[in-house]
This record gives sequence, structure tokens and C-alpha cells, in this order.
Amino acid sequence: MSDATETPRKRAQVDDINRSLYDFRMSEEGYERYEDGLSTDIVRAISERKDEPRWMLELRLEALAAYEEMAMPANWGPSIEMLDLDHISTYVSPQTKQANSWDDVPDDIKRTFERLGIPEAERESLAGVGAQYDSEIVYHNMRKEVADQGVIYTTIEDALHDPELEPIVHEYFGTLIGLRDHKFAALHYAVWSGGSFVYVPEGVTLPYPLQSYFRLNAQGAGQFEHTLIIVEPHADLHFIEGCSAPKYYEANLHAGAVELFVKDHAKLRYSTIENWSKNMFNLNTKRSTVGADATMEWVSGSFGSHVSYLYPATLLQGARSSCEFTGITFAGATQDLDTGCKVVLNGPDTTASVDTKSISKDGGVNTFRSSIVVGRRADRARASVSCASLMLDDISRSDTIPAMDVRNGSASVGHEATIGRISDDTILYLMSRGCSEGEARTMVVNGFADPVSKELPMEYAIEMNNLIKLEMEGAIG
Amino acid sequence: MMAQTISADQADTTILAHVNVPPAQTWNYLRINDLSLEVPTPYFAGDVHARLPRLFERVECGIGADAVTWMCRAAGDARYVEVRADDERAEPLYVDVDASSAEVRDTGVLVRAGARATIVTCAHGGGGDTSASLLRVIAERDARVTIVEIVACEGTQQHLDAVGISAAEGARVEMRQYALGGSKVALGLCCDLAGASSRLELDARYLVGGTDVLDVNHVVRQRGRATRADIVTTGILADAARKTMRETIDLVHGAKHAEGSEIETVLVTGDDVVNKTLPVILCDEEDVAGSHGASIGAISPEQLAFLGARGLDESAAERLFARALFDDAAIHAPVDEARAAVLARAATVLGADVARDVGEVLGFDQRGA
Amino acid sequence: MSHQLLTISGLSAGTEDKPILHGIDLTIGAGETHVLMGPNGAGKSTLGHVIMGDPAYHVTDGTIALAGEDITDKGPDKRSLAGIFLSYQAPVEVPGVPLYSFLRTICQMRPELKTTARTFRRRVGEIAERLDIDQGFLTRELNVGFSGGERKKIEMLQLLLLRPRLAILDETDSGLDVDALSVVSRGIETYRAECDGALLMITHNTRILERLTVDRTHVMVHGRMVADGPAELIDDIDAHGFSHFEDALAQKAEAQQ
Repeated sequence: MSDATETPRKRAQVDDINRSLYDFRMSEEGYERYEDGLSTDIVRAISERKDEPRWMLELRLEALAAYEEMAMPANWGPSIEMLDLDHISTYVSPQTKQANSWDDVPDDIKRTFERLGIPEAERESLAGVGAQYDSEIVYHNMRKEVADQGVIYTTIEDALHDPELEPIVHEYFGTLIGLRDHKFAALHYAVWSGGSFVYVPEGVTLPYPLQSYFRLNAQGAGQFEHTLIIVEPHADLHFIEGCSAPKYYEANLHAGAVELFVKDHAKLRYSTIENWSKNMFNLNTKRSTVGADATMEWVSGSFGSHVSYLYPATLLQGARSSCEFTGITFAGATQDLDTGCKVVLNGPDTTASVDTKSISKDGGVNTFRSSIVVGRRADRARASVSCASLMLDDISRSDTIPAMDVRNGSASVGHEATIGRISDDTILYLMSRGCSEGEARTMVVNGFADPVSKELPMEYAIEMNNLIKLEMEGAIG
Repeated sequence: MMAQTISADQADTTILAHVNVPPAQTWNYLRINDLSLEVPTPYFAGDVHARLPRLFERVECGIGADAVTWMCRAAGDARYVEVRADDERAEPLYVDVDASSAEVRDTGVLVRAGARATIVTCAHGGGGDTSASLLRVIAERDARVTIVEIVACEGTQQHLDAVGISAAEGARVEMRQYALGGSKVALGLCCDLAGASSRLELDARYLVGGTDVLDVNHVVRQRGRATRADIVTTGILADAARKTMRETIDLVHGAKHAEGSEIETVLVTGDDVVNKTLPVILCDEEDVAGSHGASIGAISPEQLAFLGARGLDESAAERLFARALFDDAAIHAPVDEARAAVLARAATVLGADVARDVGEVLGFDQRGA
Repeated sequence: MSHQLLTISGLSAGTEDKPILHGIDLTIGAGETHVLMGPNGAGKSTLGHVIMGDPAYHVTDGTIALAGEDITDKGPDKRSLAGIFLSYQAPVEVPGVPLYSFLRTICQMRPELKTTARTFRRRVGEIAERLDIDQGFLTRELNVGFSGGERKKIEMLQLLLLRPRLAILDETDSGLDVDALSVVSRGIETYRAECDGALLMITHNTRILERLTVDRTHVMVHGRMVADGPAELIDDIDAHGFSHFEDALAQKAEAQQ
């Protein structure tokens, strides 16, 4: 930590020094690492190591067949040509047993998470924490009073070994995101490892959020965690995921899957702060199905990765169900981030509200992509999409591609998008009040991001503002 | 040019698979990325002579290269008009497309520096399989061009209408586009604002009813500095109409101080409507402003309250909006033939009494239209 | 009092979350001119909109009758056809609808105004000329891009075209320059002279009233009618403002506690 407090001497160093908060890496010595690329043997080995039920192995093998047969997405947004799947290791295990006490976590991993502030956050404001290191969860803990209410927060691997939970996993796993949805979904199901299983019983409201933190330490590896959350009727959960990885020169791949089941009258808020390193291909799939009178809220901050394809999807199936999506994406040098969301309004009187911001700088490319689909039976459905993009220089790019398909005559859909820069007048005004130009620009960008940061728990809002500051400082000097 | 004999095995129809492809695309499963049309195979094959100056081949038309090639071939002949520099052409240049005899028109207009011209295209009638109009306009420095594009086809008519515009420095294009009828209508429009301070104002209106299909692709390339594009689209979808509207504002690198805006308002009165919209802003420059707004659904509560206070309930208000569309088209159709086509289409959609009233209130009966 | 045109009794109304009007009584006889005054936020405009039947407001108590017929539950379109006209402070933009289409449609809705296209054109032309409205406006979209003065003139055009039995003019004079103000005054005089309709002027500015013969003046404060009197009441307000009405209401409220 000592180098982080050093006074930055020149501009290039500011970036490096502050980045060290995320960029430190630990040795992989002694880890179990499977061969690069993908084969039936690897898939079988993963399944065997996890001692899975037969249906899971069959699902993996079916997914592998689908993966081999499906084409890479053609003609889609940012190029993923650099991603050579034959040189990505799909499974890297830190050779440790999952710990339920922080003291039992191996020292190097413990240091990693301590530097990321995980145990600290747990003590202060979380109902439970899971931490994944490469392919396996290394730490899992939940407050006793939450467990006493029947809340289950564990890994899918553990749930599969629990005779009471295994049928639940079997019932829901892979039903929302099909293994043939796209090539990376197929890849995910073939080699998935780690992630979370959360079950909130009927009527239970969690006082604090649950959090999972994903850390990909190994280079040239992939992380394929699966998150399965079931929120029963009248229950209420806030789930937070954080992601980071150190910087390597080889490509890393994140192809996780998140399946969320929000039952009638339930509420789920799913917050993500993603700060993968800039060699990461983040091709993540998230989907939620929402019952009658239920609410799904997404809060998403995307700062890292080299290329992202990320479009959380919400299916508003129940009458009067609603969805809110609040997101921000910051694309800097070498980043090409294709993000957005999809909402399908099928139930009557459903409502969806999408509010996104994007910031492009230093040659970064942002693409906001969304689809709002209103089905024939969605009487009186209402949807609004608002996206604002900020261009910080003339070498960056920002595209807005929102699609709408409305099939119900009584539905109303509104959309607005703006792209622009920070006005000279604003900067001049702030500078006339004594701010440096750098401070003025950071202030404006933070203000721009405010609608997102105010949706986050305090410590994450601070983290996000720090990330913005970090990104901004690189540009100003 | 030699007309070639049609070989016996030549297919009667051709599939144009990629019509109206927008510059940036989205998920294929949404079926919004293109349109596929079956059109009659032109009566000759082989080399086609360039009938318009080569200059026009470079003008992008929004409808896509395949459709443009098909239209050129199917037209068989082309009309080229040059408006001399600084000439103020008072008489509108009129392109009449008689859809009932499946006419296909290919027109190129070169508006020289500082000249003014008004161009009107109007497709009307029905029962003639596929008709089409291809209009390419090159507006030189400081030229002023007004384009009124009317598609007022009837019945089962399939129609393709493409407009390509290239605008040099200071050129100004005002365009009104009316899609009033036809069972399957594809409208492609691309305006290349190549010169600094060139400008496009587009007012597009449509009314689609029955099971008709309207497929639109509007593309504005803003390449020049301080270019401006203002697109306003208003439409009504009734019955089981199907509409796809793609609007792209492309703020190209170097287009400093450019501003582009698009607004679409859709009034849906039918229960089985399919209404797709893809409003895209591409931005590769910092000092620009791009905006888009869309509102899809019923008449706004404020408008409904205001119109209610003047005696109109919701269904009367909806009828007013439909009539107003034809009124507006008739008001802005600067030639008698086009106006007559609008009123003829109004008679089909609104009934003969209302159509007559539209003509009489606007005084066209007295002007001898 | 069966010949009263408008009879409002014990009317309370407001938006979904906020009551605005409290126990309003007001009667206007056929052909009379009334003035409704009061400070900003007194609820004057709300009363105008509630009489018109604006769905943004809900009546919680009391009744509104037009020529003896209870219209409390009627929609704005029915009230309009029955002869009530409200001029909007901020007339709504209606893109896509040329003024001509709009005027023709609202006239043809009314049996008493239904006429041939030719007669309609002549009438609109005459009124437009009288109000200094350029004929070019008739083919422009309703209120879209119109200035404040232009919108008010177009409201006057509709007033003279529709010849209502009761016209409620909501702050028609606010924000107008001298020329527009004189055109609007001319419109109001023409309405009084030719249509023989009743008039309810909502205003907090007395200048526009100078050229009108006022039958009755009403004062509203905090959603209540606090005074009504003859035309001379206007001069009193001109001289002393509304503060003594506000004070009196406050004292009354205190006494009740």
C-alpha cells in the first residue's frame, strides 16, 4: 500500500500508481491449472473434480457440442478477433478449500481481498459475502440472523451436494439463459465454475445487501461463474457483485451467466461495479424474469475490460411488474464497450425505465445498445429510455443504437438520447470560481455520473467516484 | 442500347434481400436490420449503360445498392436535369410515377452553385405490382433545394422510393416526405452533408392502415463542419399496420460544430399494430450535438385536454390527426397532379366527403386543381 | 334564478394529491361580464379549468350547472359542445395538425356552425383579418413555433369562430406586447358585441378591463371566494391590492381554530 501514498511526479505515473489498487497480481505457483482451450476431457475433468450430479455433466457436454457447432458472432459491435479461445485456460483453481472464516483464507488471497476492501465492507454493511478467486469461491460467509430466516447464500457447487437444494438448482439452472442463446452462453455452460446460489424465502426482507466479489488473478484464463438467485414472493434482496483483475498482456475472458428469478410481489436490486483490467473480454450474460407486482432494479457501473458485450435482460412477465435500469459506462484508451440492456414487457400495466450514461475519452469507444419490446398482451405498458453520452475528446467515439418494437396499441414508449461534450461555458464558469480546468472537468463528469452513484451503497459510490477521478486524472496532468 | 431477349429460364421475380439496411445494426432477432422484397426481374440483363452522369453513382440512397441497381435497370431510361448556376427555377420539377402501370423512374438532378429548385415526386394509383422512384440530387455550393416526396399508392401496390442527396458547402435542403399508402412501401433516404454549413430539414409523415407495411431508412451523414440536420417524423398507425422506422444521424470525424436532431411521434390507433423504431446516433467527433426523442402511443394527455376543451373527444381527435396529415400533404404539394393524388388517396382513407372538404377548405376547387 | 347561465355551488376540487378549491359559489347570468381576480396561486386558473372539465382536476364536492343542466360529471368535449369556451394561458402545441384542419373540424362538430367549405373559408378569413392574423398561419401547425402573442390571437380566432355562450378567458392579457394586447382587446369586444355571450375574465391585471363594462367582480384567495361586488371593486383592488383580503381570510381561519 505504501506506493499508493507516494506523491506522483509525472503524469504517466499517476495512472500507474493509482491503478496499483487493482493491478497488483499474485503468483499462480502451486495452482491447479487446466490446459488451454476446450475439450471433452477438460469438461469431464471439471465436472469430476466438482463431483457433480449426472444431469450437470450431461448439460455441460451438450453445451460443449453446441459451442463447437455455433459460429462466433459475426458483424457485431467491437471485434473479438484478438480473443483466441484456444489459448484461454477455462479452469484455474487456487488449490484451497472454501473458507467460512476470514482467517482460514490463504494469505496471498486474503491480502488481495483486503486490498480491495472486502472484509471491511462485510463488517460494516453486508449481510453476507462470497469471494471468488479465479475459478473457485475461496470464502463464503453470511450473518447468522440472515441464515436463521432461511436465506441461503452458497455456491452452486455446494448446493448441488445438498439433497434439499439440489432439486431447486436442477429446477432453475439454465432455464432462463439457454445454452444455445449464443456461442458464449454455450461456452459458459460447458465450463462454468464458481458463482453464487441465493435463495430468499417468501416474505423475507434482507436488511443489508449480499455481495459477491470476483477476482481473476491468473493470466490467459477465463472466469465462468454462474449466479442463480431466486427471490420468492414478497421477499426483498439487494445483491452486489464486484469484479476486478490485474493487468496482463494476454487476453483474459469473463463469460459469466446470471439468472435471476423474481417472484410475485418480490423485489430484487442487482448492483454491479465492474473494473476488469483492460485485457479482459467481458462477454457476460444476465437475465431476469419478473412476476406480478414484482420489481427488478439494475444498477451497473462498467469501467474496465478491453471489450464488453453486456446487456442485462429483463422479462416483465407478471402484470404490473416493473424494471428500472440505471447504468454508466466509462470507456478510455484501448476500450471498446458495447453495453446497454434489453427489456421485454409482456404483462399488462408493466413499466420499464432505463437511464444510462456513457463517457468516452482517450480514444475509447462506447456503444449503447438497447431493445424495448412490448408484447401484444401488454396493455397500458409504459417504457421510457433515456441515454446521455459525454464525449471528452475528438479521438473517442460514442454510438447510440436503441431499438423499440411495440405491438400493443395502448402502450406508450418514450425515448430520448443526447450526445455532446462539456460546454466551454461550464468549464469557464467553474474556473472563474477558482477550480483548475482538471478539477472542473472531473466535477462535471462526476455530476454527470451522479444519478448512478446515488443508486449505489455509499462505499461503492465512493469507489465509483474514485474510478472516475482516476480515469480523468490520466487525461489532464 | 440494345434490348436483350429474355431467356426462357429467367426467373420472373428477384429477391432484394437487403433493402433499407441502417449504417449500424442491432440484434438480428428483432428483425429490424433490413427488409426483403420480391420484385419483378427487369426485362433485360447484362450491362447497363450509365444513363446519368457518373457523378450520381456515388450518391448514397439509403435504400441500398441492390435496390438502386434494380431501380436503374427496371427504369430502363433516366431523366437528367441540370439547374444552371444561380438560376431560380420557379416551376417545380415533377416526377410522376403511375403505380397502376408499374412505372419505375430514375431521375438525377444537378443543382449548380447558388441555384434554387423544387423537386416533386409522386407515386399514385394501384394494382400495378411493383413501382419505384429513384431520385438523386447533387446540390452544389449554396444551392437551395426543396424536395416533396409523396407516395400515395392504393390497394396491393408494392412501391420503392429512394432519395439520395449530396450537399456541398452552404447548400440547404428542405424535404417533406409523405407516405400515405401502398401495401408494401420501402422508403430510403440518405443525405450526405458533405460541405461545411450544409443543412437538411426533413419533415416526414406517414399514415399506415389495414395490413400495410411501411419500411423506412433515413440516413444523414454529417461530414462537413457546422452542418445541421433536423428530422421531424410524425405518423399514425391504424388497424394492423406494420411500420419500421430507422433513423441514423452519423456525426463523422471532422464534423466539428455539427448538430443533428431527430424526433419521432407516433400515434397508434390500431390494436394489432407492429411498430418498430431504431433511432441511431453515431458520434465520432467531440464538439458536436446529437439528440433523439421518440414518443410512441396515444395522444398526449395535455393535447387531449386541450382538444377536449375545443369539443373533440379522443376518437374525434384521432380523426383530426388523420385528416390533418392529408391536409398538410395537400398544402405542401406544389403541383396540381400531386395534390390530386393526395386527395384521391384521402378519399380512400377518409371517405369521399372528407376528401372533398379537404380540397374545398384549402381552396383547391377554386384554383382548378 | 332559473335564467342563470352558469351556477356553481359548493365546489371543491383539486389534483389527485392536493385540494385547491374550497366551497366555491359563483353564478353568471347570460350575456354578463364577470371578472375573477386574486393573487398568484389563488386557484383562479384552476377554477377556469374545472369549469371546462379538465381531467387533471377532480371535483370532490359541489356541482356545476350550465343553463340549469348539471354538467359536473361531463367531459370537456361535451361542455365545449354545450357552449363553454376556455382560452388557455399556454395553448398546447399540436404538431402535425395544420390550423385549418383543426378549425374546420371543431366547427363541423357543432350543428349550429356546420356550413359549406366556402362559407367557412370566408368566415375564417374575415375573423383573421380583424385580428391581424396573417393567412399564412392557417396552413401552419397548431401553435407549433407560435409566439405567445400569436397563440393568444389564435385563441381569439377560435373564440369568435365558435361563438360560445360562456367564454372564460384565463390571463389572456399576460405577457403580451402593446400591439397584441390591443388585438386581444378588440377580439373580446367583438365577442361581446356580436356573440352576446357571457364572459368570465380571469386576471390579476386591471388594465385590460378598462374598455369592458363589468357586471360583477369576484375575488379569490387561497382557493376560496372572499369577496364579490360591483365593477367598482376593481378600482379598490387597483389601489390596495389583495393583502387585506388575505389578512381577513387569515383572521377568519384563526378565529375558527
